[in-house]
Amino acid sequence: MQRILLAIVVCLMTSQIVTINCYSVEPDEFLQNPKKELRARNISKNVRCLVCQNQSIDESSAPLAKDLRILIRKKIEHGNSDEEIYNFLSERYGDFILLNPPFKISTLFLWILPFVFLAVGIFVIFLHNNKSKKLDYIK
Amino acid sequence: MKKNILISPIILFFLILLVFFYLLIIDRNPSELPSVLINKKVPAFEAKLLLGNKTFISPGEFGNETKLVNFFATWCKPCLDEHPYLKKLSNEKGLKIIGINYKDDPKRAIEWLKKLGNPYSKVLVDRNALLGIDWGVYGLPETFIVNSNGMIKYRLVGPITKKNYDSFVLKVKEVEK
Repeated sequence: MQRILLAIVVCLMTSQIVTINCYSVEPDEFLQNPKKELRARNISKNVRCLVCQNQSIDESSAPLAKDLRILIRKKIEHGNSDEEIYNFLSERYGDFILLNPPFKISTLFLWILPFVFLAVGIFVIFLHNNKSKKLDYIK
Repeated sequence: MKKNILISPIILFFLILLVFFYLLIIDRNPSELPSVLINKKVPAFEAKLLLGNKTFISPGEFGNETKLVNFFATWCKPCLDEHPYLKKLSNEKGLKIIGINYKDDPKRAIEWLKKLGNPYSKVLVDRNALLGIDWGVYGLPETFIVNSNGMIKYRLVGPITKKNYDSFVLKVKEVEK
């Protein structure tokens, strides 16, 4: 009996039914207005937690993440726009706090390099194909 | 020509390897973030003092001389390690240090300072981390050097220790020039 129970518990834990909630927003943080709350959640998903550095503040349970979540909600209640909130944060913590880096001179390479690599890749394949075609002719 | 093309990826590979190896051996903390506040004016804010019932108004209190701003808390162990070095800076170097008591119980902070000595010229209370956010603080302790024009010139994330005390004093001297 004990074994079966244990098996069930293990199954539940490893299945998707009982998962650990990866969102760290606590109920007492929620805004009354669901529209505003949704906005806050969306902003939080785009803001990096600087303590863990690879999680958004929406997912992180670090104290700083909680402080920032509360701050974002306060700013929304004050009537600040999303843009203003992002600006407020990046003025203090730098662009690193935004999980989606803005298109700027300093981030130019970041945005353009993938396309450069793609072009180089296409060029190499093209060159290679041409060569093999020529070889076919010779044969 | 063909040989060159064959060799170039290998050379490139070793160059990349060299870069990674260099990053591995130099003394750096990859999770440390540069402050965007460097070379900017101190943020404007108001805060209650821990001792006495006065209000501290920034940027009015900055300027005239180089000052340090140190974020600390009694719950922060590295802050305890750092404490003797802050005392050294204030006693031996005569530096004014503005302490910001971050997310802490004021009663505990007062006791802590009584027990260990108070290196701060003023201690501000930041119970809800708003000052910390204004200064871009993400991990305690953090120390800022503010020059005589009220500009932030340097930020140290982590404690001042035996290891970095001398280099920190050098940084202060650079700012004072």
